[in-house]
Amino acid sequence: MAEPPLLELRDVTVRFGGLVAVNAVSFRVERGEICALIGPNGAGKTSLFNAVSGNVVADEGSIRLNGQEISRLTPHEISALGARRTFQNGGLFPDLTALENVLVGLHTQVASGFFGLLFGGRSVVAERAATARARTLLALMDIAAIADRKVSALSGGQQRMVEIVRALATDPPLLLLDEPAVGLSPPARALLAGVIRRLARELGVGILLIEHAIELVMSVADRVIVLNEGRKVADAPPDAVRADRAVLEAYLGHG
Amino acid sequence: MVIGRRWFWLIPLGLLPVPLLLNPYQQYVLNTALLYVPVGIGFNLVVGNLGLLAFSNVAYFGLGAYTSGIMMATLGAPWWLTIVPAAIVGGLAGSLASIPALRGVRLFYLAIMTLAFGELMRWTYIRWESLTGGSMGMAVPTAHLFGWALDSDARKFFVFLALVVVIVIGTDKLLRSRFGRAFQAIKDNEVAAAAMGIPTDRYIVLAFAWGGAVVGIGGAMFAISVGHLSPASFDMTELILQFAIIMVGGLGSLMGSIIGAVIITIAPQVFISFPGFAELVFGLLIILVILFLPRGLASLVARVHPMFVERYYRG
Repeated sequence: MAEPPLLELRDVTVRFGGLVAVNAVSFRVERGEICALIGPNGAGKTSLFNAVSGNVVADEGSIRLNGQEISRLTPHEISALGARRTFQNGGLFPDLTALENVLVGLHTQVASGFFGLLFGGRSVVAERAATARARTLLALMDIAAIADRKVSALSGGQQRMVEIVRALATDPPLLLLDEPAVGLSPPARALLAGVIRRLARELGVGILLIEHAIELVMSVADRVIVLNEGRKVADAPPDAVRADRAVLEAYLGHG
Repeated sequence: MVIGRRWFWLIPLGLLPVPLLLNPYQQYVLNTALLYVPVGIGFNLVVGNLGLLAFSNVAYFGLGAYTSGIMMATLGAPWWLTIVPAAIVGGLAGSLASIPALRGVRLFYLAIMTLAFGELMRWTYIRWESLTGGSMGMAVPTAHLFGWALDSDARKFFVFLALVVVIVIGTDKLLRSRFGRAFQAIKDNEVAAAAMGIPTDRYIVLAFAWGGAVVGIGGAMFAISVGHLSPASFDMTELILQFAIIMVGGLGSLMGSIIGAVIITIAPQVFISFPGFAELVFGLLIILVILFLPRGLASLVARVHPMFVERYYRG
């Protein structure tokens, strides 16, 4: 039997009262694939994202991660199954240091129990091992120097990197990035694009990316899904989407 | 590392000979400061670390005190046997108080609901006369620790000190682990915490339960320290005092709970011979700390040396 797709959405609908935010959207994301989700404001991108991460419950349709239905699970259960997300702004824990933020990302992998911690033993070893791993991860992204600084004192670019390291700490098969380029300078964006590409190509992470920075989308995405008024209007490689009439209409209005 | 946290052991060791220098009243005040350390730690865990405005701390304190007192007075149990039950009752009360928070009640709404819980308990102490002696209160028999009578404040001091050391170390271990990080994460951003795979509800109950248990032990210490329990000890004034401990010491800081308990208990005593002055100092202290040290006196200590900066990890 063939392996199920990493992420598969079938006819997903999300309603808020009378408003249909996402209307029967279906698509897949495969392992190692970078899939961008674009569309004008109010198109339903974030609602769709929230449905995948469990922050809103889809009213209809099915969402499968590695073949397992996740549309009724809570955010922490979905996260533990391997779909990690970043947030549009302020997803970090400002009172914690960069290192501690990454350690929170490792939460589900630190095998420390309440009583084990009180009386020493293996839980303490697990805690120390997690700290060592978090430091290694920060070093891999060249931000080891800021490990012990509170994230509220870091620049926007550094914060974004910490957030990505934190999301990746558990080696999740699926990464959901919600506008990662917002507020980043052009060099930081180029760095980010490189990181996203490496994650997909070298580590085989499937990436679903919401992004308004169109040059970033065009340079990294394997496939672009365009939403407009809750519906999927295009699902094609970047070059094809650029020429698509429905996409132009979505962005420029009906001509 | 030449100077590190392992030297913190010198603090309780250095306190051991202190009873030789104090008169009984001073010893009583110092014991009071010690028993307010767990009271502050438990309160601070929920309000400071978890970031939820739960004002039911005096309920756990009173329940711990009455559990210990009633077990000793009616069952004839030795005091040491009542410590664990006091912690369990406090912990259960804490879990119960977390229910509104689990239902999504936050901020002032949570503050008022939990405040009502504390007042409800005070009403219970008054009404349940057969057990508590009602508003007249009840006498607490002499405490015993494995047959050793804790009949002087100096003797209680050593036992209190040992309990406080155990509670401080236990809470420190908890905070410097994935549990402590989860509490901080929930305080900073609950949605993001859940996105990290943290079952936030479970951690909220855990923080309330651990906080309640620790405060319950403080209650058991209070019972034998004052020797007499009455509902008036667990009123709103007591809550303000306990809140002042964590505000002045430093919200979300274990060291702050300790510093706060000591300062808030001892500072007014320094001015005891000038009537009315103690309240003035107390009020002024709170205003000055909030104005100039929003993170409490602990933030001042943290500037002295990096080892005083609280970290939420090991290694």
